[in-house]
Amino acid sequence: MKTFNRAMDSTGNAIYKFSRNKVSVVGFFMVLLVVVVAIFAPVLAPYPKSAGALIDFDNASKAPSLTHLFGTDIEGRDILSRVMFAFRGALVMGLGVIAMIVPLGVLVGLFAGYYYGTFIDTIIMRVTDIFVTLPALLLALAVASLGRPSLFHSMMAVAFAWWPYYARLTYSQTSSIRNETFIKASETIGAGKRHIMFAEILPNCLAPIFTKMALEIGWVILMGATLSFVGLGEQPPTAALGTMVSDGAQYLPAQWWISVFPALAIAFIVLGFNLLGDGIKNMVSTEVL
Amino acid sequence: MNRTFRAIVVLLVAMLFVSVLAGCKTAAAPTPAPTPANTTNYVFHTTEDWPTYIDPAVGNDFSDSIALVNLYDSLVFPTPEGTVKPWLALKWTASKDGLVYTFTLRQGVKFHNGDPFTANDVVFSMDRLLTIGQGFAYIFKPYIKSTKATGTYTVVFTLKKSFGPFVSALPRLYIADKKQVMAHIKTGTYGKALGDYGANWLLAHDAGSGPYTVKEMSMEDHLIATKFSGFWGGWNANAPQTFEESATSQPSSELTAFAKRNLDITDELLPLETYQAIAKLKGATVVTYLNGHNLNIMLNTKKAPTDDVHFRKALAYAFDYNTVIKSIYPGSSVCKGPVPANLLGHDPKIVGYTKNLEKAKAELALSKYAKQLNQYPVTMSWCAEAPAEEKVALLFQADCAQIGVKVQITKKPFGSMIADATTIKTTPNASVVFVGVDYPEAGAMLAIRYASTSAGSWEQCEWLQNSSIDKMISDALGTIDQAARVKKYYAIQEKIVDLCPTIWVMDQAEQRAYQSAYIDWPVANAVKLHKTAVCSVLMGYCMYVHDIKAYPTNRVNLLSGS
Amino acid sequence: MSLPSWLAKRLGEAVIVLIGLSIVLFCITRILPGDPARIALGPRVDEAAIQALRKQMNLDKPLITQYFLWMKGLLTGDLGISLLSRRPVVTDIKEYFPSTLEMIILAVIVQFVGGLGLGLLSAKYVDTWLDGIVRIFAYLGIATPAFVWGILLILIFGYWLPILPISGRLTEGLVPPAHITGMYTWDSLLHGQLGLFWDSLKHLILPGFALAMGVMAQAARIFRSSIVDDMEADHVYAMRAYGVPENRILTKYLGRLALIPAISVMSLDAGSQFANAFIVESVFNFPGLSRLGMQAILNKDLNAMGGILMLIGGIFVLIIILSDVIVAYLDPRTRLQQSG
Repeated sequence: MKTFNRAMDSTGNAIYKFSRNKVSVVGFFMVLLVVVVAIFAPVLAPYPKSAGALIDFDNASKAPSLTHLFGTDIEGRDILSRVMFAFRGALVMGLGVIAMIVPLGVLVGLFAGYYYGTFIDTIIMRVTDIFVTLPALLLALAVASLGRPSLFHSMMAVAFAWWPYYARLTYSQTSSIRNETFIKASETIGAGKRHIMFAEILPNCLAPIFTKMALEIGWVILMGATLSFVGLGEQPPTAALGTMVSDGAQYLPAQWWISVFPALAIAFIVLGFNLLGDGIKNMVSTEVL
Repeated sequence: MNRTFRAIVVLLVAMLFVSVLAGCKTAAAPTPAPTPANTTNYVFHTTEDWPTYIDPAVGNDFSDSIALVNLYDSLVFPTPEGTVKPWLALKWTASKDGLVYTFTLRQGVKFHNGDPFTANDVVFSMDRLLTIGQGFAYIFKPYIKSTKATGTYTVVFTLKKSFGPFVSALPRLYIADKKQVMAHIKTGTYGKALGDYGANWLLAHDAGSGPYTVKEMSMEDHLIATKFSGFWGGWNANAPQTFEESATSQPSSELTAFAKRNLDITDELLPLETYQAIAKLKGATVVTYLNGHNLNIMLNTKKAPTDDVHFRKALAYAFDYNTVIKSIYPGSSVCKGPVPANLLGHDPKIVGYTKNLEKAKAELALSKYAKQLNQYPVTMSWCAEAPAEEKVALLFQADCAQIGVKVQITKKPFGSMIADATTIKTTPNASVVFVGVDYPEAGAMLAIRYASTSAGSWEQCEWLQNSSIDKMISDALGTIDQAARVKKYYAIQEKIVDLCPTIWVMDQAEQRAYQSAYIDWPVANAVKLHKTAVCSVLMGYCMYVHDIKAYPTNRVNLLSGS
Repeated sequence: MSLPSWLAKRLGEAVIVLIGLSIVLFCITRILPGDPARIALGPRVDEAAIQALRKQMNLDKPLITQYFLWMKGLLTGDLGISLLSRRPVVTDIKEYFPSTLEMIILAVIVQFVGGLGLGLLSAKYVDTWLDGIVRIFAYLGIATPAFVWGILLILIFGYWLPILPISGRLTEGLVPPAHITGMYTWDSLLHGQLGLFWDSLKHLILPGFALAMGVMAQAARIFRSSIVDDMEADHVYAMRAYGVPENRILTKYLGRLALIPAISVMSLDAGSQFANAFIVESVFNFPGLSRLGMQAILNKDLNAMGGILMLIGGIFVLIIILSDVIVAYLDPRTRLQQSG
């Protein structure tokens, strides 16, 4: 616990360092924008009904104009509003998946690392090897196509494909720390396994885990967009960025706005999270040297 | 090496590279072989049947039909008016009880490999179709007792029970060359003598006598067939030398291909916006014609909440049919019941359901789910290969929301919908499906849609399984006298409309774009003359390439911008 | 430990992983709801034929037996019959593998050359505007999914400046070169048909780039940061003091070191590109293996799904081993450390 507290003491120091890095600050504000828009979408969106079951064929396929900044799609729905609501799904996907896999992966990795060199270790690591071997996207696709497509299903699918990476990271950290003197000392005094794992080893692993988490939210959102591009994930009429891109792809080049704006939105979110993640990485890694 | 020297070397290499590329590009830029003045190459697009089965005992969907129609001949050929004309059969007689049909065959017909056509080939084709049991076999299976060749050019069909539309259903028996197929059998599941019955070979080859013969069949991309100069029906000078049927792709790619004049007639699956974009091109015409298919929202009658007739009627009254006609599929007409209006046997007295929110709410109140609408969402699947169906699905969702019914939509590739249709549990409450007929009368639609034998297929997602309807259909089909048969069809339609197992969205008007500047397409000509009967309702016959004329010089002129 | 025994150990691990992979894939294919035999034959076929097909597909046997039969088939090259194409999955794979392969080869070349080149450039001119541009591009490249790149490339180079083809492998009407490898670019080169080579290469450019962008950006970043990190190291100062030209420092010394993390990342990504290729293949209407795999998954074609995923997984493992070998060659420390 002590190491953890020491890290938290210099929080003020860390925030200062973060703000010096221009790129990370940009990322921070991008993510902030996305979060604010997602939360306040019903209020901010010019045509909130467009995100639901609206059909307005008379207004369909209108080019971007002052009334519809991003234009309308082939069902007549305002694309800007839909993009705003779609941010919600993206955030739920990113944060939700990370929230699922980090505890699971870390626990497994911790366990395997602690029992380093034994049978348990080998089994667990081979299992994660298998998952790492399967291209995450195809695995997610296969799993997501099992049930009725929904946001929950694609989250489960991505989680299924992604958790091993956290296990392996924790494992490599744990296994290298495991044989340090201070761990051996704790064992000698008779500290229980649980105490050693959670109070001694885990805090020292946290830095790379946080870094990875920060860097990966963007990836998870990307994968979510890819899955919805293929048709898995949220179903209409709920707005999902990947779905909007794939639906609009058929109407290129004449009605290019239907595809292009959601596509840019995807890049925006992922970029924001990546920049933010980089900043956090720099902040954290300069701390724990 | 000093810096300037290195820079010079890099520059020289770069220049060399660029010039090689440029040289490749200009000097040896390959162009397709120049087409001679009186022949031409074609590209036809077909539905995204992925893939296409050209085996006459297996194929039965749109792209399969287009291939079969051009590669093979049948005993009779369907006319746009809904009758048949002699084709490989010159004349035929039926016994009074309708159980024995005798056909006299045309002589001098040759198959693509030179084999002569005889009655044995007809016997072989029917036997093979019934044994393999896929494709169009379902039409004949309940009726055919035996097929015998009573002479080199006479064949007798003996039926188990009478089948009124027998002759008009015969176009779907495509005649294959017995000798050729048997020469290519491998080990298979049909016993020692038959092996695989040639199924493997017929995936990529044909044993037909039709105007075209397979040159190259690529399972995912395309079928290329070349002209069979020995076709018994003769040729006009401007018919295409080759025809290619390929898989549908993105509407934007089709638009580009059409604009580059590499696509001559599009499929009928493109979204409206694409047809509008194509119509703006020079020398392009979009034609719309009723094709005897209808668009159905099939309601699963064995799954809650659509198992309640009042609930179904509520949905039928809530749906906005006019918007479909106006904005999604212009040119189509509103359905009056389960049988398209241009089919023989359509009951003109039927009043279809129209949008009426009061009636919808009233019916909903009568259903047992009235108070629990939230616990019983309606699941709906639409076919990913037909993007315009999404609009129908979303419209349905919005309309149902007006009476408080929740609809969950899922986009599914057709293969997945076929898989779902196999059990009651996996079939969704509502499926958006286009259905066509395989012989031009109401009975074909009624049998394929509501008889128990078709439950479990994508053509019937209602699971109606109603024994009195089964009896009525069976009885009607067995009636030889056409007038009497039609009357029976009327009775069936009235009963079905009352059961409301389906929301009949519209009688489909097929929309296709074609290169009017250099293609002469009989179907388009008939449309221009405002004929009511434009082509046979059987799938595939609108693309009978033998009757299409092409003018390559016009195409060249169009491309060069004159 | 020495290279051969290290290699043997890695291969052994790989085999175990592949077996595990096959179990996972098998489970997935069998969990899918729906009756594969009925799906294959269609709705109107009678029960007898369905049962016959089920027997032929071994679906009536217990799951364990089915698994072993499938493994046996895998090892002998019999992956079963695809429900959609009605022919052996192996035939389908043989037909569509070369096209994906040549696209990926192009993508790998582009991302390697592009990534390393950009990273090097950026490191050399660190903190200048050139560095800034490359860094922005790198960030954008990583954030943008392949299908978005695909759509943007189609719009820009297919419509607004129509200089490159946006679908298929060859221009309409051209005859592909006679089959040697199945890859149009290589075959046409081997036959000396330069024009055909150029045409097929043109068709690969946009999909290849769309596929490569993300990895290229990633590689550029990693390469750049490795070099920049090292640029202030003592031994580099020493070299500068001795008068070693800056470029040689960059390429010969720093570059080689920085290759290690760059290659690890790129190889992981290259392997997964076989899977990611399906998005690009769909957008560009490119008839490749990945798209076939996706169709198999979406249409519940069990045999094709299992066979293709197994193949892709196998390739992935192979690539990982290959990259490990390269890294071990470049950095002896890794294999020496493996004695744990």
